[in-house]
Amino acid sequence: MTSGLEGRIRDALRVVIDPELGENVVDLGFVYDISVVDGAVRITMTATTPGCPATGFLRAGVENAAARVPGVGTVNVEMTFEPQWSADRIDPALRNSLGVAGDS
Amino acid sequence: MIGTSISRWSMTYFAMALAWLLAALVMMVAGIGYPAADLATPDTLVLVHMVCIGWLSLAMCGALFQFVPVLVAKPLFSEKWELPALALLSAGLVLLLAGFLSLGGRLPPALWLLPLGAVMLVGGFGLVVVDLGLTAWLRPAGPARFVLVGLASLCATAAFGAVFAFALAGCAGSAGEVILAEGIPLHAVAGLGGWLTLTAMGVSYRLLAMFMLSPDVDDQQSRWTLAAGAFAVAVTVAGGALAVGFASGLNVVLSISAILGLASAVLYGRDIAGLFRLRKRRHLELNMRMATLSFASLAGTGLLGIALVSIDAFPEQIGAFAFLAIFGWLSGLVLAKLYKIVAFLTWLETYGPVMGRAPTPRVQDLVAEGRATKWFVIYYAAVWIGTVTLLIAEPNSFRIAAVAMIVGVVGIAREIVRIRRLADVAGPQRLPIGTVMPHLLYANP
Repeated sequence: MTSGLEGRIRDALRVVIDPELGENVVDLGFVYDISVVDGAVRITMTATTPGCPATGFLRAGVENAAARVPGVGTVNVEMTFEPQWSADRIDPALRNSLGVAGDS
Repeated sequence: MIGTSISRWSMTYFAMALAWLLAALVMMVAGIGYPAADLATPDTLVLVHMVCIGWLSLAMCGALFQFVPVLVAKPLFSEKWELPALALLSAGLVLLLAGFLSLGGRLPPALWLLPLGAVMLVGGFGLVVVDLGLTAWLRPAGPARFVLVGLASLCATAAFGAVFAFALAGCAGSAGEVILAEGIPLHAVAGLGGWLTLTAMGVSYRLLAMFMLSPDVDDQQSRWTLAAGAFAVAVTVAGGALAVGFASGLNVVLSISAILGLASAVLYGRDIAGLFRLRKRRHLELNMRMATLSFASLAGTGLLGIALVSIDAFPEQIGAFAFLAIFGWLSGLVLAKLYKIVAFLTWLETYGPVMGRAPTPRVQDLVAEGRATKWFVIYYAAVWIGTVTLLIAEPNSFRIAAVAMIVGVVGIAREIVRIRRLADVAGPQRLPIGTVMPHLLYANP
């Protein structure tokens, strides 16, 4: 049940896009971890640039999107820049369509 | 600190800056100031200060209020100082220009306007320097160090300018008269080279890395670029002040400064080439493509300077040299980046609050690059042709080039207004429930 809820949360987060890259935060690899314990959701995520004014909005957007999923109680979103995001985290198919090169 | 907030008054700074740029270009078309008049005439002083304070400095301050917090990932020291600073700078500039017009006989004698304007400008720039300086000082590394050196150069520029203003009004004593007679090159180098160029370099490192997904320029590498530029300004200001004091002439000081400045420009070119080479985004957006024309103009300015010195023609062609630096390098970069920054901030202001609640457009959906490209091309072509007309002393042809610059700038300004109006965003995503139409001249709180 929990893994099903995690999947639904992950799908719901696709409504949140990085404004600069124009794609959703899941396929861009911004979402590092989603864990659910008794309806309490904890999401660990990142952004491209620490200090960027978009970062706060991305965090709030992820919180909003997760909270709308049936079965979710509380949502706690933690922003981290360790490890730092890199283009390697983008879904490979999306990376090609964005014209973004990977690190390796 | 996770993310910084949107600067409320940056748009106001940008709007004022564009208005001053257009006013200055209209003066050029009308044949007021250089090249229709000598560089040292009051009319040219009006023109130069409209461009350097009204256009470039206001645009730079507006951008820095937003981006210094991003550079250091800390909030701005005081957001409340942004608007008073703009009011002081605007009022001070108007008074200073009125003083110059009075000096040239276009207004009744009122030379007291010059020191009054200078005091207000020093007050406005003082607020900017303290606000940005205390913010950048929280993490003085990488691009933030360029900003700190730029702010120090702004202090030197303003100090020289204030002395000149008091001297022109006849209340700076004999020392002020000497500084006025000899110190104008020091004022110009500290302002254009230190404040505007080093700051633009610093901000560009981070903007280019952000928008092209490039790794940040290594601190060890960029510190040599900064060191050369900072030494150039320091030699000019400190060495120049001593040379003026000892009446030994400025040739040696300015020659050393020029070599250091050239070295800084070359190292900057190396750093920027690395950012382009290592970028992850293969496709370059319009702002980046147009920024490359600005970098080409900086390279052209350096080469032009070398050529003019080698044929012993620099003093008589300094106007053309400065024109290319101001309008090709600095103004071109500012216009290209404004186009991007306004779109990015407008997106955040409008769609950031509804993220996760409704589908939102992309930043690129706010712009129409195909339409905007021609305005930038017209602008750069006009600047380069204008530089040639100055070099071959064709003032009437220059005025035609200035008309074309106006066409380009009006076109770019119109695109920026359309961005603020969300005019190019397709129907259903334009204003989802919960969004508020952005104001043209300031960010909604």
